[in-house]
Amino acid sequence: MTTEQYAIPGLKNVLYIDLTSQSYHIEERPDLYEKYLGGIGIATNLMLEEYKEGTGPLDPEMPIIFSTGPLSGVYPTCTKTVALFRSPLNGELGESYAGGHLAMSMRYSGYETIVIKGSSRYPVYVTVHDDKVTFRDASSIWNLSSAIDVGQVLRRVEPGAGRRSIVRIGPAGEKGIAYASVNVDTYRHFGRLGLGTVFGAKKLKAILVAGNREIKSPDHNAYKKMYGKLYETIVKTGLMEKYHNLGTSENILVLNELKGLPTRNLQATSIESVENISGENFAEKYLIRRVSCAGCPIGCVHVAMLKRSFSKAHEYETLNISYDFELIYALGSNLGVTDPEAVLELIDACEKTGVDIISMGVVLAWATEMQQRGKISTEEALGLKLSWGDKAAYLRAIELVVKAPNEFYAALGKGVDYASKKYGGEEFAIQLGGLEIPGYHTGLGNILGLTVGFRHSHLDNAGYSADQKAFNQPISDEKIVDYIIDEEDRRSVLNCMVACLFARNVYTYENMVQALKCIGIEKTEEELKELGKDIFRKKYELKKKFGFRFENFSIPKRFFETISTTGKLEEERVRKAIEMYREKRGV
Amino acid sequence: MAKRLKVANPARCIGCYSCMMACARTWYDTISLKNSRINIQTRGGIETPYAAIVCHACVDPPCMRACPVGALTKRKGGGVNFNKEICKGCGNCIEACIVGAIHLDAENKAVICKHCGVCTKFCPHDVLEMIEVEDSGELKVTDTSPVEDTGPESPTASHKELYGKKEAEGEE
Ligand code: SF4
Ligand code: SF4
Ligand code: SF4
Ligand code: SF4
Repeated sequence: MTTEQYAIPGLKNVLYIDLTSQSYHIEERPDLYEKYLGGIGIATNLMLEEYKEGTGPLDPEMPIIFSTGPLSGVYPTCTKTVALFRSPLNGELGESYAGGHLAMSMRYSGYETIVIKGSSRYPVYVTVHDDKVTFRDASSIWNLSSAIDVGQVLRRVEPGAGRRSIVRIGPAGEKGIAYASVNVDTYRHFGRLGLGTVFGAKKLKAILVAGNREIKSPDHNAYKKMYGKLYETIVKTGLMEKYHNLGTSENILVLNELKGLPTRNLQATSIESVENISGENFAEKYLIRRVSCAGCPIGCVHVAMLKRSFSKAHEYETLNISYDFELIYALGSNLGVTDPEAVLELIDACEKTGVDIISMGVVLAWATEMQQRGKISTEEALGLKLSWGDKAAYLRAIELVVKAPNEFYAALGKGVDYASKKYGGEEFAIQLGGLEIPGYHTGLGNILGLTVGFRHSHLDNAGYSADQKAFNQPISDEKIVDYIIDEEDRRSVLNCMVACLFARNVYTYENMVQALKCIGIEKTEEELKELGKDIFRKKYELKKKFGFRFENFSIPKRFFETISTTGKLEEERVRKAIEMYREKRGV
Repeated sequence: MAKRLKVANPARCIGCYSCMMACARTWYDTISLKNSRINIQTRGGIETPYAAIVCHACVDPPCMRACPVGALTKRKGGGVNFNKEICKGCGNCIEACIVGAIHLDAENKAVICKHCGVCTKFCPHDVLEMIEVEDSGELKVTDTSPVEDTGPESPTASHKELYGKKEAEGEE
């Protein structure tokens, strides 16, 4: 049937929301969408337009930019939304991606991009119902002890079930923990770099986006065919089987075997009894269901059930907790925790309070080593004695970090870089560029990738996978540098779409060109590649404005002391590789 | 031989919306969830199971009886055939269908399942199936052969062709 006349064209609007005046307006920016398509391309340009020299991460004028892309809500597994902000954790480029329902809801609301500025005097939440925007008092849900409960309340009071996305913060964001996360639809997050902190500073408790409009489809038959092709590739070729089956936690055993799994604050790269926290064990004993982001047939979100007894009279509570590789590393191996139930409980505590789990894990690991070395007293830790594998102590520590009752815990809430500058132990504060590291210690590719990456994330360029290649078959350092450069550019393009990076091998340049063509957007492979380079330059421009300088970059000693997948790393080798990268990139 | 759609294994739903996208793009010339005749919903957020809301293929459809203009007529195999031209968008059928399987599109025409089976081809998790029924829509008793093994190791188990070859190899 035809309802085409009622459908929106899409890829036109930017919605500006001002929290100070509780007002909003829409700007038409076909120029931006034409050139940059969507996602990170649009967000980077808008940030350059918005950013005024000297504005701090938590200043009201500092914007938060959400953007989806031309393929969002249109093709399978294009499920992500990018958030761009200035990170309160390291002052640098804040960039984070979340799945869930958000991309589809934004796309169908007709606002592919949303810019949020200003700050409210009292807690608010913002709703976007198709084209209508409202501001509502959120005082009654401020101070709720769990980010999950916030979702439950909003689901009750707001319409749009099944078509909406609820994006919210927990106590950590309200209290200004520098690595507070934003929870999206319970199991997904804008995790890294402290977007939750920025929400908190703006007194923005939540955003609800409900979109249920139709999008025009200029060549519907071509679109249907292309959808079918991509769908088949995703579910039938094995390209993504890994994410469906055990999920990313499959990597726990793999990396452990390869000596690449950071353990006990990266004092080691493999851990005894690893089978207990393997993806296999979680799947067999705890996995109860999988869920998907809206529009993705994979179902990579693994949900475990933890049955916990709370009295001798056989009384139980059950918790449903999603887990993946990074979480098991951060709260498992890196804290010496090999009891899977303890890992789940720690994840749950972080979820409720709303912090980035990787950062929290690294902060606690560093604090444990500090205490063991006698550099932090039990008094400073308010009676707490952290030791590897001690779940109860870590649960308490998470609570204390968020409540920040004294200077020490307040410092922990500012991240491991800050805390180690204050208390010492910088050599074993496992961060790069002020961001606590993800769960890889695979060698040169990894360290280089995290150093040069836009946001010091493994997702910028997958340096660890260059190491995997080098492990299988030795390759020159220059090849590793080249791999990282290619991967960065490719990912920049994918992040304009905004495809889930798990589907990166489905959305090849060729497939992207075709997918775009079928919805009336003409781009050649060369144009897309040029777009990747353009975005690189723009993002480095932004990074510079935010104060990033290679000259100030230092790499903690720990990375050179602990053996990695590809052997012990030499500082000199890393330095040379960074030089090579800078030369090739011209930065 | 008549067929109808059945939500065979609701508990296996992962909430991917592939079925909705498929239905909407097959029967409309736009891209949406809005025009899907099947509706995936959560009752209490993603923490709780998904429900697939779609026409149950009533043997004696109340929606048909509620339609004042006769736009809905009995379908072979249960449910209704819909005549879009004469539907006047009154919404009486919506009221009559307590399943909640009907809504109106942008042109105020009823959106109601045709039991075409397209969505089942896009469900990656064995939730949706087309089943054979009597012309009247009554369920057929077809299970007269020995009970099949449906455990994860059996050849008829879920995903036998999906998510790549790896799983299939593992079974050998
Ligand atoms: S639409 Fe509702 S009332 Fe009509 S046949 Fe289907 S389930 Fe029955
Ligand atoms: S909305 Fe259309 S199909 Fe439904 S009862 Fe009214 S006229 Fe009949
Ligand atoms: S059977 Fe056909 S009409 Fe019914 S929900 Fe599935 S795709 Fe839509
Ligand atoms: S396609 Fe299947 S698994 Fe996906 S939402 Fe529909 S019923 Fe659920």
